[in-house]
Amino acid sequence: MASPRDATADERMLVRAAKGGSQEAFADLVRMHQRRAYTVARAIVLSHEDAEDAVQEGFLHAYRALDRFIPDQPFGAWLNRIVSNAALDLVRRRKVREAEPLLPDAVALPFRDPSESDELRTRLGKALQRLTPRQRAVIVMHDVEGFTHGEIGVTLGIPEGTARSDLHHARAALRRLLQDLKAH
Amino acid sequence: MTQHRFDSRDRLDDHVVDAMRDLLSPPGGEGYWSELEGSIMARLDRVDLGWWSEFAGWMRPALVAATILILVATAALLHRDQQVAALPYENLLATGSTHPLPDELSVRPVAQGDREATLRFLFAH
Repeated sequence: MASPRDATADERMLVRAAKGGSQEAFADLVRMHQRRAYTVARAIVLSHEDAEDAVQEGFLHAYRALDRFIPDQPFGAWLNRIVSNAALDLVRRRKVREAEPLLPDAVALPFRDPSESDELRTRLGKALQRLTPRQRAVIVMHDVEGFTHGEIGVTLGIPEGTARSDLHHARAALRRLLQDLKAH
Repeated sequence: MTQHRFDSRDRLDDHVVDAMRDLLSPPGGEGYWSELEGSIMARLDRVDLGWWSEFAGWMRPALVAATILILVATAALLHRDQQVAALPYENLLATGSTHPLPDELSVRPVAQGDREATLRFLFAH
C-alpha cells in the first residue's frame, strides 16, 4: 500500500485536473483513496452507516476545498484528515442527540470459544465502544490498517508522540476489556 | 517510555486483530467500493448544481416580489393614462385663464351698454 505521504506524479496530475474541474479525475482520486478513508472513518464512528456518511462528507468537503489544496502535498493524508474530522463531528452530533449509555455488561457477556468469530466480534465490538473515538482510531489505523504513528498524527491532527501513547493506552484498555476472553 | 515499549511489548493477539479487521470491513465485498464511488460522485453532481439550487429557497419570495412589482407597474400605467386623458381638458381650462378671450366675446354689445347706462342714471338720481 502506498504511503499517504507519497504524492505520486499520477496523483498530482489527477489533483490538478480535478482542480481544473474534471470530475473524471476526481472520480479516480475517489477510487484511489476511498478504502483508506473508509477505514479512518470506521475506526472513529464504529458503524458502517456512519462511516459511509463520514466518507461521503469528507470527499464533498475535499471537493469544495480543492482550490485551497496544494497539489504537491499528499492528497490522501489531506483527505483522511478531512474524513477524520467529519467522523469526529458525527460522533459529537450522535453524543448530543442520543446520549445513549453503553450497556454496563457489554463486555461481560459469556464467552465460550474464542475461535467462534461471531461471539468474538460481538465482544470486540462492545469493547471498542468503550474506547474513546481517538483511541479507537489509533488502534484500528495502526494495528489493522498499518498506518505509521506519523501518518496517524497527520490524519488525526495530533503529535506523533501522542499517537504513540494513545495506541499504548488503547491496547491496554482493549486488553483489559477482553481479559476474560484470554482466560479461556 | 520508549518506542520499543509501545510498539512491540503490548501488541494485540493476532486473532483479536483479525477479528477487528473482520468487524470493521464494509459489507458487500469488492462490489461495495464501486457503489460507494457512485454515491460520492452522485453527491458531487448535486454540489455542482448547488449554485443554482441556492436560489430555490428564494423562489417564493421572488414570486411575491414579482407580483407586487407587476401590480405597482400596472397601477402606475393606469394612473399615467388617466392623466394623459385629462390633459386636454386641463389645457383648455388653463387657456381660458391665461389668454384673453377673442374681442367679439369680450366686448359687450353697444345696445346692452346703453340700456345699463340708462338704468344706472335712473337709480343714481
